[in-house]
Amino acid sequence: MEMETEMDMPMPDELEWLEADLQHHEDYLDEDIEPPLPEEEASYIEEVYEVLQPEPIVKPSLPILEKVQPKKRFRPLSPNLLDLTNADNSVEDKRCKVDDSSAIDADDDWLRYSPPPKDESVVIVEEEEKETFISRYLTDIEGDFMPVTAPDGNRVYAKLVKEEKNEKLKKLNVKAPSKGLMLEPISVLMQRAEEDALQKALQASVSSEIDANLVGTPVVSERLWVDKYSPNSFMELLSDEHTNREVLLWLKQWDSSVFGSELKSTTDDVLSALKRHSTVSQHKKVTSRSSFGWNKDSVYNNNTFKEEKSDSHSIQEHFNKIRESGPPEQKILLLCGAPGLGKTTLAHVAARHCGYRVVEINASDDRSSSSIEDKILDVVQMNSVTGDSRPKCLVIDEIDGALGDGKGAVDVILKMVSSNKKSESGTEAEESGKKKKKKDTSLLRPVICICNDLYAPALRQLRQVAKVHVFVQPTVNRIVSRLKFICNKEGMRTSSIALTALAEYTECDIRSCLNTLQFLNGKKEILNVLDISSQVVGRKDTSKSIFDVWKEVFQKKRLKGVRKSTNISKSTFNEFDSLHSLISNCGNYDLMLDGVHENILHLNYHDPVMKKTVTCLHNLEVFDMFHQYIMRTQKMSLMVYEPAIAISIHNLVSQHEKPNIQWPKSFHRYRTTLIEKVESLHTWHNKITPSISRHISTKSFVEDLVSPLLHILSPPTLKPVALHLLTEREKNEMAQLVKTMVSYAITYRNKKIDPLLPGNKLKNEVAIDTPVLSFDPPIAEFVNFEGYSCNYFILALAVKQVLCHEIENQKILQSSINKSMHENDGKYFAGKETVKEKLIKPMEKVNILKNPSVSKPTPVNTITMVPKPSETTKKRSTAPFNFFEKFKRVSVNGSQLTQTVKKVSVTMERDSRPVLFKYNEGFTNAVKRPVRMHEFFL
Amino acid sequence: MLWVDKYRPKSLDKVLVHEDIAQNLKKLVTEQDCPHLLFYGPSGSGKKTLIMALLRQMFGAGAEKVKVENKNWKVDAGSRTIDLELTTLSSTNHVELNPSDAGFQDRYVVQEIIKEMAKNRPIDTKGKKTFKVLVLNEVDKLSREAQHSLRRTMEKYSASCRLILCCDSSSKVTEAVRSRCLNIRVNAPKEDQIVKVLEFIGKKEGLQLPPGFAARIAEKSGRSLRRAILSFETCRVKQYPFTNNQVIPPMDWEEYVCEIAADIMKEQSPKRLFQVRGKLYELLVNCIPPEVILKRLLLELLKKLDSELKHEVCHWAAYYEHRMRLGQKAIFHIEAFVAKFMSIYKGFLIATFG
Repeated sequence: MEMETEMDMPMPDELEWLEADLQHHEDYLDEDIEPPLPEEEASYIEEVYEVLQPEPIVKPSLPILEKVQPKKRFRPLSPNLLDLTNADNSVEDKRCKVDDSSAIDADDDWLRYSPPPKDESVVIVEEEEKETFISRYLTDIEGDFMPVTAPDGNRVYAKLVKEEKNEKLKKLNVKAPSKGLMLEPISVLMQRAEEDALQKALQASVSSEIDANLVGTPVVSERLWVDKYSPNSFMELLSDEHTNREVLLWLKQWDSSVFGSELKSTTDDVLSALKRHSTVSQHKKVTSRSSFGWNKDSVYNNNTFKEEKSDSHSIQEHFNKIRESGPPEQKILLLCGAPGLGKTTLAHVAARHCGYRVVEINASDDRSSSSIEDKILDVVQMNSVTGDSRPKCLVIDEIDGALGDGKGAVDVILKMVSSNKKSESGTEAEESGKKKKKKDTSLLRPVICICNDLYAPALRQLRQVAKVHVFVQPTVNRIVSRLKFICNKEGMRTSSIALTALAEYTECDIRSCLNTLQFLNGKKEILNVLDISSQVVGRKDTSKSIFDVWKEVFQKKRLKGVRKSTNISKSTFNEFDSLHSLISNCGNYDLMLDGVHENILHLNYHDPVMKKTVTCLHNLEVFDMFHQYIMRTQKMSLMVYEPAIAISIHNLVSQHEKPNIQWPKSFHRYRTTLIEKVESLHTWHNKITPSISRHISTKSFVEDLVSPLLHILSPPTLKPVALHLLTEREKNEMAQLVKTMVSYAITYRNKKIDPLLPGNKLKNEVAIDTPVLSFDPPIAEFVNFEGYSCNYFILALAVKQVLCHEIENQKILQSSINKSMHENDGKYFAGKETVKEKLIKPMEKVNILKNPSVSKPTPVNTITMVPKPSETTKKRSTAPFNFFEKFKRVSVNGSQLTQTVKKVSVTMERDSRPVLFKYNEGFTNAVKRPVRMHEFFL
Repeated sequence: MLWVDKYRPKSLDKVLVHEDIAQNLKKLVTEQDCPHLLFYGPSGSGKKTLIMALLRQMFGAGAEKVKVENKNWKVDAGSRTIDLELTTLSSTNHVELNPSDAGFQDRYVVQEIIKEMAKNRPIDTKGKKTFKVLVLNEVDKLSREAQHSLRRTMEKYSASCRLILCCDSSSKVTEAVRSRCLNIRVNAPKEDQIVKVLEFIGKKEGLQLPPGFAARIAEKSGRSLRRAILSFETCRVKQYPFTNNQVIPPMDWEEYVCEIAADIMKEQSPKRLFQVRGKLYELLVNCIPPEVILKRLLLELLKKLDSELKHEVCHWAAYYEHRMRLGQKAIFHIEAFVAKFMSIYKGFLIATFG
């Protein structure tokens, strides 16, 4: 029983161990490199496993030894130990050898260009044996292996395993830089080249098989081609060369501030780097041989890493020499372009190329401003101490989708940029040197933002501060050659014609091309031209701007001459199809058809009897009713039929020439002004005395009332003379008019002259200082149609002013009548008032004495009086805000008015009421409070 | 005060135009309990005047003491609360409101507010009337849902509340609501009736009316009493000793429509149509209902049209007006009518003159 368990047990034990060790190593490694370990690890473990598995014969010995050892080590210690040391001695020399060979083996294995030698198993066996020896041996050289302690028990085997691990480490060490930095050591490149050659050779053999029987091609690849063949190096980028360079240059401009003083002289570094490339493989072997101890190895790691780093720096500096130093003026790079052109890829590749570690924030992350700020600050301002010490470069993907909470990202960046500018303006010279020490929120690392729509509202501010690069479509040739390469690699048979068609069809969206190809490959189909045009394959769901949609609706596509003759019906079908998809992608049918309506009459279609126009408008009508129906019944599924209306219009009116398209503003303007006017009508309606307003609806206002009202309110018979010169009849008329105006809540008020309007400008020139009085609810506006002149008699200014005051008086009178009607309620005030009245009376008499001339005013005089009345009207025009204010204001006006009234005309009625104040009884919900009379005379 | 308001009959006895209706109403109120009422008829025919006079008959002079209230209502509609602002005119015995002001939320006005008002019995129990009156204006603009919720209210609270509905056209009031009311059709007054009213006013004002002058005003008013009186007063203001050939000032918007019609007759092309569109927008912006514009435009066009085309044009005007009511964007439909007219007219011109 014991034996059996022991037989099996050590295996997982060992593995666990290895893993633990690896973890341990990883921790150290992390500092230096951050390569994707897991795969490597797994494979390594597997390797070991495999290696261990085939030796059932050897194993028994191993576990037994293992088991026995600890006992021996801790209890009896000496007797057995001697034996083992002997054994060890015998194998001692062997061990060195094996060590060496295994290292090479491992290297080879990793490079994968030669199959592992057959005798490996033997070697491993020996290794295992050694392990045991070493463990025994350990007692002597324990000091050396101190750091290694087994997880379970205190096994000392560790030593050998660790050596193995060290080799592993070396491997990682070599691989990591190649993964992390773009400029790989030449050795790696060469290895890769060889690898490639091997692959090609393999493929050649495979492809011949494929040729033999097509069906036999197994689709093994599980990764998306898009990922599989995404460019890893700068040279592989497909996007426009110029843009690539610009981006790279921009990134390089950061070097001086990011890498700063760490740089050393270029040539030396380059040379040494080049040298090192050539000797790396040797170097490795040497080190592997020499490094028995963990410590040494780690030192090596650090060294190599430093070298690597400086290596990357050297090139950057080289670049720097070309460019002048200092961070770029625009701290943010904004890449925009249609999807699938390779923006994200470019950002990543370029950043890595320049030695940055890319940190990406995209739409899938939490982008609320609070959470993102820390993140960005972390990336942009800090230098990590423990992890990968490469500076970070922030890539914010899909920034235009950042709305609402997501806008935080843009805000944070903008804040940093602006603070940066502030500090820069102060101490620019200092800045470059001391940047890292400063703790303010400025941008210290490059930030690349990526968006699809440059003109998204969220980006408005960002656009101004950022360096903008608009991606253009790469040439079809480049895409096709790349597609071809990939197809060859995947063993897919295509023709370049088909590929070209595909590329054109997807508008050079490489991602969509690849996905399509992979899809077809998965279905084991061959791409041909027909596929693309007939199948819905590789179709992109592109939404174009609304202007593009309108353009498509109004403009006939030029058909290619070849196709035209062969199948017209098909081409029209295609046109329908494409237009339909275009419109449905646009989505906002309502706006779209508004635009159609706005622009349709400007088109130059041949239409002698207006038949086409009628049909088009008919279609628009149908749309309107249709839309209304959908909205009312909420049957959104019917919306699918709406694009068809636009297409029928397209068929009727589309022309070859380019249409001049306007945004449908007239309809929107109509809507907004209508709302405005209705609102003003409503407020007016509410102001009118209820006994009258109940009889009028807002509808009939303009229809029936406004025009006659305008006539009635400005009777030509009213002479611009002082009131007392009027005959009795005229006075009556005047009183009548005032009553009408009061009951309809109409008054005159100073109109603000808007110098912006040309019409007013003219008036302004004529009379720059004379106030223009116009109706207070601007009722004249309602008949002020464009291009229509209404012939109303316009009262003289003086008359208007007189009227204005009379209206005020009338209002006050009415309210006082109201008050007297509610005398009982307002007794408190009434009592006080009478007291004050007596006080006021003499004062006013003095007033009259002072201005005797006023009592006989000539027309000229009334005009000179202009400023004062207008003053009062102005005061009235400022709307009171709360109840108490209103209360005060009105009373102030009242008292003032009584004075001005004196100047115009003194009637008996007013003489008896020198103090008038307005008391709004009952209708407000404000607080009533006792008020002293003198408060009214402030 | 304008003459329209000054000479508005205050009681049912003094009504000059629809005397028969007034007498019937009076009988109805004095002799027996009043049912729900639905007044309908074109604008300017005197519906509101009749209603006010009726209220006075019911409640005495107190009905004329009204105050305006602008109240905010909070209506609980399931998951959310809706804020509604509603202006009401109320006296002690009646409340007047315009539920269609709430737009698409009118349903809540009917369901909650009107119901609430209808439920409460009048506080003033001194009077002999045990019910209060709710006057609802522009019922035809109420949505279907609102009208449906109205009908139950009408039955349920009829003990404490009477509804007086008022609208231009009964066709938009659902059958159910109509059947619960006593329908009172208020016709547009005939021209001789208008003349009678104008002469009455003239006598009261002490004016000398030349023979046929009142008839001319009545003819121009389009059988709207309000308009007739207003233009009568306008004439008075413009020029007093009336002369027989005195110009009766037209409505400005009608003049404008006339200009549009002239434009259309002058040239028929998409470009001209575009100009017409701008002018139509002008009218629409100034709160003139599109139906009214279309109708007026048709009348103006008919004036200048050959008789053989008249029938067809009328047909199309009706056709497009119907569609306009189904739709939402009035401009599309008016414009479509103009285009159709242009097309017909141009075809006709080409056919006749080659």
